[in-house]
Amino acid sequence: MTERIEAKISVEDEKASIDSESEIIESSKNDELMKEGTQSIPQIDYSDFREESQLLSVKGLIDRELSEPYSIYTYRYFIYTWPHLCFFARHGDKYVGVIVCKLEPHGGLKRGYIAMLAVDGAYRRLKIGTTLTEKAIDTMVLGEADEIVLETELTNRPALRLYDSLGFIREKRLKRYYLNGADALRLKLFLKEPIYEEEDVD
Amino acid sequence: MKGVGEPTDFQAAAAATATAAAAATAGCAAAKAHGETPADVENCETDQDWNVGNCGFMDTDWQQKIRSNSAAEDITQFPLYAWVNVTKDFHNACSELVPGELAQDMLFGLFEAMSAIEIMDPKMDVGMGFDKYDLPPPSFEAAVTMGAIKLDDLTSAELIGIFDALFACVVSWLEGNSMDQVLFTCLYLHAPSKIKDKALRVFCTSVRNLIVIIKNIIVTAGVNEEEDFQLYGNSALLAAEKAQPSAITGLLKEVEDELVRKCKQLTAPEDLMAVVHRLRFMRHLYQAIYQVELLSVAESAEEGVNEIYKSLNVAAELLPLIRRTIDRGTQPVEGSDTPNPMGFSPRIHDRSQPPTFPRSIKIRERPASFQFLEEMVGRFKYACKVIRHRDYYSALNFFIEYSRKSGQCILSRSFLQNLFTTGIRLVHGKQSMKQFLKYSVQIFNSPPVLNPKHPVANDPKVQQHLDTFFRYCINMNTFTQFIRICGFNRARQRDKLARLIENFDTIQVDAARLDSLMNLMANERALEGNELHATALKHSTHFSTWVLYNCFRAMLIFLMSGFELELYAVHEFLYIYWYPYEFLVGFLVSALTRTENILLAQEEYAEHQSKIQVNGGGGGAGKNRKPAKPKKNKKQQRPYRQEIVYYHALLSLCGGMYKAMGALTKDGRIRLPTSKFDNEEIRYNRRFSPFVPLTSPPPVSYAEFKNIRDHMMRPSVEELYAFAAKHFDQARNVLESMQNPEQEMLDLLQIARTNFVVMNVLAQGHQKGLKRQPEFDFSRHSYFPIIKLK
Repeated sequence: MTERIEAKISVEDEKASIDSESEIIESSKNDELMKEGTQSIPQIDYSDFREESQLLSVKGLIDRELSEPYSIYTYRYFIYTWPHLCFFARHGDKYVGVIVCKLEPHGGLKRGYIAMLAVDGAYRRLKIGTTLTEKAIDTMVLGEADEIVLETELTNRPALRLYDSLGFIREKRLKRYYLNGADALRLKLFLKEPIYEEEDVD
Repeated sequence: MKGVGEPTDFQAAAAATATAAAAATAGCAAAKAHGETPADVENCETDQDWNVGNCGFMDTDWQQKIRSNSAAEDITQFPLYAWVNVTKDFHNACSELVPGELAQDMLFGLFEAMSAIEIMDPKMDVGMGFDKYDLPPPSFEAAVTMGAIKLDDLTSAELIGIFDALFACVVSWLEGNSMDQVLFTCLYLHAPSKIKDKALRVFCTSVRNLIVIIKNIIVTAGVNEEEDFQLYGNSALLAAEKAQPSAITGLLKEVEDELVRKCKQLTAPEDLMAVVHRLRFMRHLYQAIYQVELLSVAESAEEGVNEIYKSLNVAAELLPLIRRTIDRGTQPVEGSDTPNPMGFSPRIHDRSQPPTFPRSIKIRERPASFQFLEEMVGRFKYACKVIRHRDYYSALNFFIEYSRKSGQCILSRSFLQNLFTTGIRLVHGKQSMKQFLKYSVQIFNSPPVLNPKHPVANDPKVQQHLDTFFRYCINMNTFTQFIRICGFNRARQRDKLARLIENFDTIQVDAARLDSLMNLMANERALEGNELHATALKHSTHFSTWVLYNCFRAMLIFLMSGFELELYAVHEFLYIYWYPYEFLVGFLVSALTRTENILLAQEEYAEHQSKIQVNGGGGGAGKNRKPAKPKKNKKQQRPYRQEIVYYHALLSLCGGMYKAMGALTKDGRIRLPTSKFDNEEIRYNRRFSPFVPLTSPPPVSYAEFKNIRDHMMRPSVEELYAFAAKHFDQARNVLESMQNPEQEMLDLLQIARTNFVVMNVLAQGHQKGLKRQPEFDFSRHSYFPIIKLK
């Protein structure tokens, strides 16, 4: 039995934006900014990883929002190896979003990998996910990434929409990928012209 | 962890290789770990210095030793390991570290990090499923001693309950769950020979033997992936009693007869009859599956498959009777994870599972299990028909169809692969694959050089060239691989097809070479004055057409499978539908039309020849003569008519979707990627990258695509909608013209009709102020959606 070597990802579960597909396209920006109509837009600050105490905030946020369990070693593996590829979104003192990535050589290419992305349920549709992902990709581009890879649950429409809009393509369907038996999609963003595709080892 | 991106201030090092996991079962030394690690690790083995080598994880002997023990007992053997308390040393060591710092082993990477289990975390720690007061799960012996399971004098209700639960376990195993966590939770399966009740003993023995046979069939077929099926299980348990596959049906029959005699003496035999039906179902299902394995030594495929079919028929007839009597058995307690009150110990193997996070195991409910079995028996019956398909073209069609209908079930897919390969071997003899392919080309477009009746077939030079070509086909494995790929699960098929398509290029080159050699020889023979041979060799495109046709099909399936697997974002639909519309479907139609024309010309020429010349008898093996027969049938002149019509419909539907996407995009109704990272050219190149290595069809560059699209999108939005509507209308016309259409055609018709209406509505300016992205509903057909406005 092959172990799951790479981490899984999931963003903004289904309930985040019910009926998101039917959204009116031209006014979608307003839609996303004007959360629940009356509430004013919260001021979100973004920062990268600084010190240990943040790790617990990351862990708490991700444990709450994602279905897959990660041991503390997994968090440390990513965050202490690539602290510059971990970004936070904060509302005041509260951590409301996080992205955790890595960047490594992979079969002759430099591959970025988005391991985890989570946004607090109460702060959805504020483009926090998009902003965090863009920051991470920007940094990985500076690190000369050729491509960026991630996995997400097939049924996670909001996440797929986010990545579609960033230019990712859904490369593969991974059957029964998650512990809960759900299928995953592997997504890729190609930052450079294709070189001949190497074999993907799952 | 020697990543390139490793910053210099990286102070930490990861720790304690999977200590937590190992500690759960074995007790292993904890390396220096930060306070975050479970503090429960108090007792460590210190009789020697800790190193990677003696960590339980690395040492397979040690691992096996742990696993082979009945798991629950390890911890109780505390004194055996001379545990020593190192809590104090541990805390002292920790005080040297700053918060967040880890002691890291060189070999500790992501794999280890992800495999580490945090004790007491309910998502990671299997043990958290236990209550503090839970007793260890009973083994077979323990359950017998406790009186928790009966070995004799079981009531009919108890038997039915156990049988039905076991059927549910078999089904859950076939759905990809581990054998240990479903089947071997049944304690009766651990030691059937100790069961005194004959019906139960024989049934459990059958299940054990069935497991072995099913595994063999799946291994032989080789179309399984880790997500489909788990081959490995507790082999020690399985080996404990010797398999006796050939004796099983006899044993089942015997106990059935005994019970039937008993029934005759009862005033209310219904319950006992329900037991008999289950035994009988097991016998016939077993017989069918076992015979697939035996086919390899059979002399005639037909006879063997007929026997299998008969058994399946009986099994299918018994299933409704069984489903009606489910409630006569003992039922699982509500809320319990035990599939039956007696005989199961669901957690017995929890501790012997690989040290990863627990996967959720759900054993199917009984009615759903029998439904699965009913469908599976139906699929098996359908698979039996494969032996009628003795040439590549019709076999491939059968496989493609079968995969679409039965792609989810690993045993059904393996069953078909086994029947087919043995069938081919039995029909085509020793050099089966080569014969099979030769025969297939002959059936497909009937090159005279393959017609044993034709004198040119005996030309040694011709034979030599043919031999080289077909040997090459076999060595490249491309054709056989295509059929095999259809046996994999739908998600895996796509990757494998991408690689297959590349392989077609070399075969294409070789086929073209063979065709041109034939043409060259035609000239030679003409010069020699051998008009008959010259005509037969002239204008040959047989082999390249055959290869190209199959390549186009692989390309089309590859491209369209992306819809089924939900790999395409809506904004990508445009170029995906464009390619088959502009090129691929047209290529398929012309390959088939060309083939029909060749057949027609040959027919006419043959008629002409037979009038002017008495047929000189050709040599060749008697068996290979048969195929010439159908050619005499007038209907055979247009053997691809139906498929061509289908492709015409496909062409219009692709055209409709392509233009609809153009119109919707221009109308601002499609969400497009807005990011600076997006690059349509790269996406386009990626999507069509498997086609790039092919010489034919030549790759189409992004620039070409862009030109064509720009041209297409020039008219007004309303006009574009109207163009799309026109295509859907054409598709409708083609589909309506079909006689006795299959369900798929009716579904496509429905799609064409609906989209025609929707496009017209949009052409007339409906919902003009409201730019919503429509819904694309693929529930009718996996290739084409119904476009829905909201």
